[in-house]
Amino acid sequence: MAQPKKIIIDTDPGIDDAMAIFLALRSPEVDVIGLTTVYGNVYTTLATRNALHLLEVAGRTDIPVAEGSHVSYMKATKLRVADFVHGVDGLGNQNFPQPNSKPIDKSAAEYLVEQANLYPGEITVVALGPLTNLALAIKLDPAFTKNIGQIVLLGGAFAVNGNVNPASEANIFGDPEAADIVFTCGADLLAVGLNVTHQVILTDHDRDILAESDGIFAKYLSKILEFYFSYHHDSYSMKGVYLHDPTTIVAAINPSLMTYTEGVVRVQTAGITRGLTLFFNKQKRFNEETEWCNKPTVKVAVTVDAPEVVKLVMERLMH
Amino acid sequence: MAIMMAFQTPHLEILGLTTIFGNVSTKDATRNALLLCEIAGRPSVPVAEGSPEPLKGGEPEIQDFIHGSDGLGNLNLAAPKSKKVEKSASEFLVDKVSEYPGEVSILALGPLTNLALAIKRDSSFATKVKRVVILGGAFFALGNINPAAEANIYEDPEAADIVFTSGANIDVVGINITTQVKMSDEDLDELKQSKGRHARFLWDSIKFYRDWHVKSDGVYGIFLHDPVSFVALIRPDLFTFKNGVVRVETQGLCVGHTLMDQGLKRYVS
Repeated sequence: MAQPKKIIIDTDPGIDDAMAIFLALRSPEVDVIGLTTVYGNVYTTLATRNALHLLEVAGRTDIPVAEGSHVSYMKATKLRVADFVHGVDGLGNQNFPQPNSKPIDKSAAEYLVEQANLYPGEITVVALGPLTNLALAIKLDPAFTKNIGQIVLLGGAFAVNGNVNPASEANIFGDPEAADIVFTCGADLLAVGLNVTHQVILTDHDRDILAESDGIFAKYLSKILEFYFSYHHDSYSMKGVYLHDPTTIVAAINPSLMTYTEGVVRVQTAGITRGLTLFFNKQKRFNEETEWCNKPTVKVAVTVDAPEVVKLVMERLMH
Repeated sequence: MAIMMAFQTPHLEILGLTTIFGNVSTKDATRNALLLCEIAGRPSVPVAEGSPEPLKGGEPEIQDFIHGSDGLGNLNLAAPKSKKVEKSASEFLVDKVSEYPGEVSILALGPLTNLALAIKRDSSFATKVKRVVILGGAFFALGNINPAAEANIYEDPEAADIVFTSGANIDVVGINITTQVKMSDEDLDELKQSKGRHARFLWDSIKFYRDWHVKSDGVYGIFLHDPVSFVALIRPDLFTFKNGVVRVETQGLCVGHTLMDQGLKRYVS
């Protein structure tokens, strides 16, 4: 097998973040070299605590955690935090003990820049929250977009309704200005949006199987998943949960389970559709130059082999 | 094309035409509407001139590169003999809908300024109008002015948001639908050869429009945006519809974007 791909997970744990992190740790295709934290499902301080806690659960305290921004790119402090999805502690209200380990001294953006410089072209950042840290890394070092191997991000709703409101997906809504910077930065970028992740569902039955398994990750997850399941039941009238973050990890470890289209993505930063991701396939020639002209293209996932993704996630979490 | 189709459709009483900027200025739209009534042999159909500018004011953007500077494919037609009515388009709309409450349908083929003004003029307009069929928007599809916006909505997004949220019985035909309906060069040739009453005139005026499609979309033929919307008025059975709230973005990069809530989720706020 080829050398495992070095990945840094930018995360706001988060119940499905916990699944995603464990999945990555159990995937031989990737080597998780670090976690960076951001607000989103919880505030950044709690995201850091949860990241450290999850690494302790996994016995991987060797992996560094760099704390990310506490405010949005435009320095907004009033942030949207989805504690109604993940519980006030972000991990399904299980009252886990404080972790013993500590984050490193560098900020997430500094750490991302440092690692990208250390291993130019080799690192994949898998971004599971708002894109503030990545935008700050780009601001900190203009060469970051060249040095970073790939950015795989969970974000956007391409030609479907959002999950914060009909226009907007939560990670993009969390920091639209940062998202527009990242989408147009010129890096090799792959976006996995709700149009794809809403096809990948872990059912009640799947959770029962996880609960009965001997795997430590499966057992741990089956507990924290309860809160996430009840949110999905209330909001979507469904018996199951969307595997947003794990699907995004799968895009990094086995991209062949999805198909992609390529074009320019811009993010709306004003008005009632703030956070809208608008993809242009560059097919039509408009009469006047548009805001989508002369911008670098990115890849956007359009189809997914959902049963295979769920199978892969289940298998790896149970063993 | 849509207007000629309407005139040729039995069991349809055309109460009038109201005009709006978009493909041409409102003034030129009025001249063209009068001309088309004359060419159709219906010079007594009233034409009411609409707003010269969008709700927020300012010069409208005219899409003359699509339809020719006269809006009818640069045919240099003589000026019409008939005159527009005294009333403005919004007055005319309010008066007709009040005269025949629950009976009048409106087919809106341009920016929605006149309809928004009618709603502002008469708060009962939305409940009195039978049905509004709108050509506008791009639903989960790319726009035609830019990737985010369709031309009719882009030209007056504030008006569009007022109309879409007015509570009237509205059917919207967006370019996600109309770009599925093409008249190919072969179809146009058939139109040219046909003995239909208006076929030759339409063919002549369409040439300019057809050449723009080649440049803009690589389409050898034309999209039937307005005729398809007219068909939605008389034959809704040929379409499927989805119900939901539509809002229009009025700011930023995506101004003019139409966003429909498909109702798949209960949002927290």
